[in-house]
Amino acid sequence: MEVDREDGRSQNQLRPLACSRNNLHRAHGSASWSQGDTKVLAAVYGPKAGTKKNENPEKACIEVIWKPKTGQIGKLEKEYEMILKRTLQSICILTVNPNTTTSVIIQVANDDGALLPSAINAACMALVDAGIPTRHLAVSICCCVARSGLVVLDPTKLEEQKMKAFAYLVFPNSVHSVLPEGSPSGQGEPIQNGIITSVTHGIMSVDDYFYCLERGRAASTKLSDFLRKNLQQQSTDSSKAG
Amino acid sequence: MENKKSSSPAGFIDSTVVPGDVVLDLSSMTNQTIKIGGGLRQDCDAISVMKAGTLRFSKPNKYWVESSQKRYVPCVEDTVLGIVVDSKADNFLIDIKGPALAFLPVLAFEGGTRRNIPKFEVGTLLYLRVVKANFGMNPELSCTDVSGKAAEFGPLKDGYMFEISTGLSRKLLSSPTCPILEALGKKLSFEIAIGLNGRVWVNATSPDIIVIVANAIMKSESLSTAQQIIMVEHLLKNIQ
Repeated sequence: MEVDREDGRSQNQLRPLACSRNNLHRAHGSASWSQGDTKVLAAVYGPKAGTKKNENPEKACIEVIWKPKTGQIGKLEKEYEMILKRTLQSICILTVNPNTTTSVIIQVANDDGALLPSAINAACMALVDAGIPTRHLAVSICCCVARSGLVVLDPTKLEEQKMKAFAYLVFPNSVHSVLPEGSPSGQGEPIQNGIITSVTHGIMSVDDYFYCLERGRAASTKLSDFLRKNLQQQSTDSSKAG
Repeated sequence: MENKKSSSPAGFIDSTVVPGDVVLDLSSMTNQTIKIGGGLRQDCDAISVMKAGTLRFSKPNKYWVESSQKRYVPCVEDTVLGIVVDSKADNFLIDIKGPALAFLPVLAFEGGTRRNIPKFEVGTLLYLRVVKANFGMNPELSCTDVSGKAAEFGPLKDGYMFEISTGLSRKLLSSPTCPILEALGKKLSFEIAIGLNGRVWVNATSPDIIVIVANAIMKSESLSTAQQIIMVEHLLKNIQ
């Protein structure tokens, strides 16, 4: 049951990850995220006073602007903006800064598959860099179902085109907790078992979807360890400065 | 029993935490009175983190997350540098790099009465104190210390203002004096005002001293203590 991938990866293997924060001078928070040849730059401005039209002034408003690599934004990019906005709204604590707007600008530097998950990861790191209060982090992963029924993680652009269906999944990060393992944390179920966003394209059976979820969740723990390590690195750098 | 309780949060103290981490469980603590500062929130019995940074603990019961940002979150009794944006009949509107503009009442000056309201042009830099930072309200500032004296507060004339991260400004203000300011102060004479909101104002008799001090502080952002001292010595050598 081995699948041949052009870059010789196994089906559950992710491409090399890289993330750096605070790369923009004027933005209040920024992060660049690359996953193989896919590279996305995210910048956060705010919170600024006032909310947009048609938004609840009792809560913070999040605005997402998607900048494609070339050309104008189309329907697909508008959809990405919307998904990203909803995802970020659910991880941010909107009641801390009521009547403010936070702008998130996503610049695509290179698209080689799994673009939206990379953008979600980049935006999440940029929010953390800007110090926007969040409930937890979001880690995002792309799962593909091949024609043979195999599930492949983190596809490249070429693989994405060959696939029967794919799912973008966003999970909460795995947290460290003083609470004993398995105890109900307020809501009854451990937060790691949750899912924040799920976007599917193409036809997939229910079993395939659940298999995707399982594979995606397994990969998301690796991703969240990567995020934690990245955040730790940054803070030891800055504590040395004192 | 007692040991177990106190050891549970200890694993997190002075280490990096990321949003979502649960650092304290109130139901297993004997003394449930704790003070939580920036970056922490209460969710039923659990205290969880909402900002990435280092968890700090101060005896007897204060917990907060220390991090460095480019934006400022107003906090009572902080000293900040603000810029006048607008003046209204009752208040000056001041930008302190926070999520909302801050109000400076026109009477919040030493001996302030309706007769002697100060006049500030838009763009004036002021050294101020935060007196109110309530949820959902614009923060309120004052140009006096707690006893109503002008102290050092008020407009900063001449000099040069630049912006740094909030983490660095906290380090510059920490006692004992930050090594970089101490090293600079031994050789040069200059006036400095540091706001916790990440603004620094420097003034000296000659512009080259201002440039040196400002450059040294801005460069020190990413350097360790030893590197800072070397950098300052290098800078000072160049001018003599």
